Amino acid sequence: MMSVWWPQVKAVIRLELKKTFLAKRGLWIYLVAALPVLLFIAYAVVTSTQQNRSANVARRTEKQLTYQDLLAVKAGMAKEEVVRILGKPSLRFHWAENRPRGPLTTLNILHEQYRYSDGQNDLYVEVVDGRVEAVHIHEGYNLGQDSIVFAGVFQFFFLRLAVFFGCLGIFMNLFRGEILDRSLHFYFLAPIRREVLMAGKFLAGLMATCAIFVTSTVLQTIAFVWHFPPIVRDVYLYHNHGLEHAAVYVGVTVLACVGYGAFFLVAGMLFRNPILPAAAILIWESVNPFLPAVLKQFSVIYYLKSLCPVEIPSAPGTPPLLALLISNPDPVSAPVAVLGVLIVALVALYVSGVQVRRMEINYTSE
Amino acid sequence: MNDRITCEDVSKFYGEILGVNRVNLSIPPGITSLVGPNGSGKTTLMNLLTGLVRPTRGQVRVLGYTTTDPEHLFTIVGYSTQFDAFPKGLTGFQFIYSYLRLAGRDARSAEQLAWQAIERVNLTEAATRNIAGYSKGMRQRIRLAQALSHDPKVLVLDEPLNGLDPLARSEMIALFREAAAQGCYVIISSHILHEVDVISDQVILLSNGYVVAEGPIRSVRSEIQEHPTQILIRCDKPRELAAKMLEDAHTIEVAIHKDERGLLVKTRDADKFYLTMNQIALNGVEIESVVPADDDVLSVYGYLIGNEEVVR
Repeated sequence: MMSVWWPQVKAVIRLELKKTFLAKRGLWIYLVAALPVLLFIAYAVVTSTQQNRSANVARRTEKQLTYQDLLAVKAGMAKEEVVRILGKPSLRFHWAENRPRGPLTTLNILHEQYRYSDGQNDLYVEVVDGRVEAVHIHEGYNLGQDSIVFAGVFQFFFLRLAVFFGCLGIFMNLFRGEILDRSLHFYFLAPIRREVLMAGKFLAGLMATCAIFVTSTVLQTIAFVWHFPPIVRDVYLYHNHGLEHAAVYVGVTVLACVGYGAFFLVAGMLFRNPILPAAAILIWESVNPFLPAVLKQFSVIYYLKSLCPVEIPSAPGTPPLLALLISNPDPVSAPVAVLGVLIVALVALYVSGVQVRRMEINYTSE
Repeated sequence: MNDRITCEDVSKFYGEILGVNRVNLSIPPGITSLVGPNGSGKTTLMNLLTGLVRPTRGQVRVLGYTTTDPEHLFTIVGYSTQFDAFPKGLTGFQFIYSYLRLAGRDARSAEQLAWQAIERVNLTEAATRNIAGYSKGMRQRIRLAQALSHDPKVLVLDEPLNGLDPLARSEMIALFREAAAQGCYVIISSHILHEVDVISDQVILLSNGYVVAEGPIRSVRSEIQEHPTQILIRCDKPRELAAKMLEDAHTIEVAIHKDERGLLVKTRDADKFYLTMNQIALNGVEIESVVPADDDVLSVYGYLIGNEEVVR
């Protein structure tokens, strides 16, 4: 039978991809997928501009400074001592303050700001009347911090919103869209097993969502590492699990498409209005951290969170409920997580299979 | 009964709305027309025969296949629906080609069969144009081409002549006849009764979801006892003939034709009437022709269903 089914699945995929890719009503999905990429590109552009500025400052400084040199400056030091350690500042701003001291006298106070840089990190020294009053170090980049930002954007925007709604837009329309267009009978008139049709449509949806969202994940990763100096980038990618993390993010994206895709495929068959099941699934996925262990397993996000390579720490003072949302207190192992998503998807696909066999063409009731 | 299309006590309800009720049919090869007013259940019956809807009760079998098995059913069935929507962005050729690929045909045979089907419905020139730009008649023809493309044994055609110009109609009718002559089961629904009358081997009359009558049109007519049979006789002496006719016990009514060259006779027993006719003819009245005047679909439809919505 496979010799008949596989060509039929391929025929369904060809037709569906033709409809899905660059369809006008699906353009918002491309926009949603592009949003995090644009965010990281903007971040990379801003950071690169700052790094160029820091490099200029470093070039104009008397001495070649290191990060340790910048850390050596403390509040209370005399400005001569600062100059001795770091050399003459390449940028210096100053102004005088006339502070009233009595009815007729004023005190003339000199305020200065020195700026140093080691080429990546900037040091701002506030000097008041010849003494260091405050120091601020602006770090040019912090891979650890940026990785957490990336993980946050991935988990809370990309997975929960972009992929979620993208899958909703594509998978729900696989059958529902054709019922609304009154063209589903075209498939139902062909000598093709309904389950094979369903499998073809699911695979087409999966290919479309994977192409869109995996491309987005890859572009996000490129934009994320692009602004780092080459040596830092190489260390991160090849010696610090950067490539491994990128591969895991791609894998999680694919699994998200599988899981949410299967959910929305069955929802598109069972419900006429996509808003209700979408809201229900969104709420179910959102309240997952608060659910009992048994119920957690019937959620896609539970397994996806367990697979994400970077743990997002909750900031001190975060309300416990919010902290529970951010953290994953009882993650499952990677094989269990992958298997979990696949089982959830298979259950949803089984229900879709049963449903598609029962489907009738009755457009007037829609 | 693997050589018939059968419905056994089939009913279909859409919620509380009746589609068809207690339908029992056994359809032989040839052209069978489904006739009935709007809402009588013609499309529902066709959808039931092709598995697009499932019976609420009863069983449908098409040459032995159940309609819940589209994988096998549509290898022998081609259905041209009334749904006037197509998958977006396809040309006429791509529409047929995709359908054949869905049916599991390889690219080469799908291409060959698609062009053959397109040629059969005379749409070759427009085949590479997007269906969205087709006229109603062209869309009708491309749907017919889809139904015909895999050379099915059973053709189910819902209002297949709608939107076609007279030339295309006669071409399509010839196509259906050719298919029927080759042993196909051609099931057609139509409002256009004179066309149904011309092409049908048998009719199924539907009204309010019930099958009112089925079978060859003449045998259906002969079963309608409450309406006397009307016979048109062409002769040179209609008044003389009318007088003789009225002597016959089976004659109910005789009316002279307006042109004074014939008469319309109503009789309760056509067979006995014809015997009487023979005797009269032997007694010197020259009879040109004797034609049944109400054993066509139009008359039967009028007797059984009424004359509303009849398209002559």
